[in-house]
Amino acid sequence: MSNPYIPNLAVIRKIITENEVNDIKTFELVFQDPEAMKNFKYRCGQFAEISVFGAGECPIGIASSPTDEDCIQFTVKKVGVVTTALHNCEEGTVVGVRGPFGNGFPLERMEGRNVVIVGGGFAFTTLRSLIKFILHDANRDRFKDVMVVYGARNPGELIYKYDLEAWGKRDDISLNVTIDSAVPSWTGRVGFVPAVLKEVAPSSSNATAVVCGPPIMIRFTMPVLNELGFPHEDVFLSLEMRMKCGIGKCGRCNIGEKFVCKDGPVFAYKELQMMPKEY
Amino acid sequence: MENLESSIRDIARKLLSDKKVDLIIGYEQGTLPLRTTPCFVDKVEDVQKLVWNASCDANLSKYLVDRKEKVGVVAKGCDARSIAVCIVEKQIPRENVVIIGVPCLGVIDRKKVEAKLGGKEVLESIVEGEQIRVKGEGFEFVLPKKDFLCDSCLTCRHRNPPIYDVFVGEKVPETPEVNEFAEVSDLESKSVEERWAHFKEELSKCIRCYACRNVCPLCYCKMCFVDQTMPAWFGKTNDLSDTMIYHIVRAFHVAGRCVDCGACSRACPMDINLRELVKKTEKIMKERYDYESGLSLEEVPPLGEFKMDDSQEFIK
Amino acid sequence: MKWKVLEKSKIPVLIEELTREYEVFAPVKKNSLVSFERVSSGNEIYLGFQNTKKPPKEVFFPQTEILFTYRVGKKGVEIEEHPAPRRKRVLLGVRSCDARSFVLLDKVFSSGEYKDLYYLEKRKNTTIVGLACNHPLSTCFCTSMGGSPFGKEGVDLLLQELNGKYLLEAVTERGMELIEKFPWLMDAEKGDIEKAKRLFEDAERAIRSKVSVEGVSEKLDRMFDDPMWDQIHQKCVGCAVCTYLCPTCCCFDILDEGTNEGKRVRIWDTCQSPLFTLEGSGHNPRPSGKERMRQRIMHKFDYVVKNFGEGFCVGCGRCIRECPVNLDIREIVKKISTWQV
Repeated sequence: MSNPYIPNLAVIRKIITENEVNDIKTFELVFQDPEAMKNFKYRCGQFAEISVFGAGECPIGIASSPTDEDCIQFTVKKVGVVTTALHNCEEGTVVGVRGPFGNGFPLERMEGRNVVIVGGGFAFTTLRSLIKFILHDANRDRFKDVMVVYGARNPGELIYKYDLEAWGKRDDISLNVTIDSAVPSWTGRVGFVPAVLKEVAPSSSNATAVVCGPPIMIRFTMPVLNELGFPHEDVFLSLEMRMKCGIGKCGRCNIGEKFVCKDGPVFAYKELQMMPKEY
Repeated sequence: MENLESSIRDIARKLLSDKKVDLIIGYEQGTLPLRTTPCFVDKVEDVQKLVWNASCDANLSKYLVDRKEKVGVVAKGCDARSIAVCIVEKQIPRENVVIIGVPCLGVIDRKKVEAKLGGKEVLESIVEGEQIRVKGEGFEFVLPKKDFLCDSCLTCRHRNPPIYDVFVGEKVPETPEVNEFAEVSDLESKSVEERWAHFKEELSKCIRCYACRNVCPLCYCKMCFVDQTMPAWFGKTNDLSDTMIYHIVRAFHVAGRCVDCGACSRACPMDINLRELVKKTEKIMKERYDYESGLSLEEVPPLGEFKMDDSQEFIK
Repeated sequence: MKWKVLEKSKIPVLIEELTREYEVFAPVKKNSLVSFERVSSGNEIYLGFQNTKKPPKEVFFPQTEILFTYRVGKKGVEIEEHPAPRRKRVLLGVRSCDARSFVLLDKVFSSGEYKDLYYLEKRKNTTIVGLACNHPLSTCFCTSMGGSPFGKEGVDLLLQELNGKYLLEAVTERGMELIEKFPWLMDAEKGDIEKAKRLFEDAERAIRSKVSVEGVSEKLDRMFDDPMWDQIHQKCVGCAVCTYLCPTCCCFDILDEGTNEGKRVRIWDTCQSPLFTLEGSGHNPRPSGKERMRQRIMHKFDYVVKNFGEGFCVGCGRCIRECPVNLDIREIVKKISTWQV
């Protein structure tokens, strides 16, 4: 039986700076052992525990799509010990990866349906994985209309600008990017994510919504989805919580009888309403 | 003692009903013999819960920091001194606390009683004047209270709270000059190697529960050095050298401020003698600066300022 | 024959023989503290205690445990796993409440897709020799928590103290195997077994502390936002005594020590620490003692009931005796069971 606490080694192949203030970077990793690469089969919405040896380990959502076969990507914001150490790494540094962990987005609840994706700020990373997966040629037919509402504080904070540009050119996705308040260089939408969602008013019939964002965005987005008639079992959120082991043993991410690392991080809104408000 | 108890209740009742305070913090009967537990009373009718006896050992000033309400707190001599330290250090606004000073003749060290009984459990205990009657399964002993007081009480020279708003009962005589640093001198007489070996042995029992830090009224830092991660000053495991760093640095942090209430030693589940290292720093403060903490609300503590005529012989 | 007797004077001999084949962990007394340590001779062990300060969980789940070591160099990173030792062990002198705690801990470390090999390997390799309780303390309430002073759950071989000797009862096959290694052990007589039965009945009767958990889990479901939590936590100072001394608490942290060359360790952690749920963003879902106390109680008496079918309290009373402020969990459970929601 394999030891779930031992990381697999991976090399940082490329580092992409995502935002203007340079505290969000995307790391492209390739496992040193090609077997490990093959065996790292993940779903959109899952996360992995990334190790910087000597600094520690932390959970990061997987930003690449399972359809990207040659590497895995993680977008990391510099906030603490491990993320700072990661930001100080150079291309070529060997890090550790444990996972994939968590439940991932329930694709079976989106197939054959319209998909509405709502994201705010840095929490967009796993949603990006989902969008890339859906838009992939091999998958697009499985889903109906796809609408994305994504916002950040200002243009500099928008991540995956290169993806946003490519998606904007497609006609099989309705992309709505917004920033919180107007800025001279920005000619696109202005407005908080919940307000923009209300404006574009996606239909809730035969539709599944996926929401990822800071708590305040979620607080104001839920009423909009309610008004639009989305049933609570068709709205999915990804919870952020302090995690350590990633496998439901250390107790840190325990909410009610669930563990965010094991039973989540994706929860249906209906499920979330029955859990204690401790997140 | 009974008079003091009913006086405390009367005072609490009056303070609450006159709305001079929003909350009274005192002691109530514990769930085990020889124990009391902190009691938070905000209704006049609950005042009856308050007790006063030789097991009122907790330092209640711990609960005063970061309170918006006005609080009346039952305080022994050592407790009142630690309140004074916190007031001088601007952690408790003076006007927010009503110090109900109670003269204390020492609190019982239940660990000493347990040790004397060699593992037999006390099921009932009554303090009768200068004696403690302990009863258990198949035994009843009468123990002289003075032999079972906490070590910090044996050398206490502030049985009467030096600072108070209300004084309960009559002042008690202070103990004559006691050598409160006898234990320290004993340690000082040992060689460096012997002392290091002694501290290593004591501290090897530590399980890093931080009960000592958390019961100490002077450990009020929002971010304790123990918990910092950027940078992390030392390891969090129970590795002996990390554990020793914790205790030694904490001793330095409370040096010049500690009032030797003994709460840390009493709280330690592993029976570590936590007082002796800090007691040495107390001795240094007395000898070098003729200073004892918590006796004045005006005096700036020596470690809180630098005077031009401070002795500097240690600077070579 | 599953019943044998062991003269107290022969204990050193038994331990001596055991150490030849097993690593033996038994209670050792140092000054006022009795704790489970590795012993090499029978003279070191001390069985005259009521219960140890620290629970024996540390034999399977040490306070500090190395997960692996690493070396970061020019050629990359080398990891060396530190698997649990595969040697056979005997853990002797465990009270029934603590033995039962192992059964509960097993559920945490073995449940789900991932198995905690560090804990499970040690458990697999260890034979548990229990020590029945003739004189429970006033703070013992094992009978309210599904246990008993002569309880056999989690025990392979149960020692029951009679006058001058121990009755040995093999509970499991492993216990039987252990007995058979000592052919010099005398068979127990009917009188011995009957005496032990009477002592068991006396001990159960002696447990005066009763705590009803009936309906507590269901009631707690409705109490998350109840104002009761505002009162209960007030005197708690937020240390880790209750969690570290609890036989069934097993939350841990994982950290790296050593920059280029070092080890990844796991250490005991406590839900009572403000840092436990503190996120990198600064947000803390449990910002004060109130939320953390609520989590402790609800986890122990409600959440685990849903996950594992029973509460995670064995009624050993350590948290009650050692809490610096005499916060008594029995009082809290009683309050909950009679609370009007």
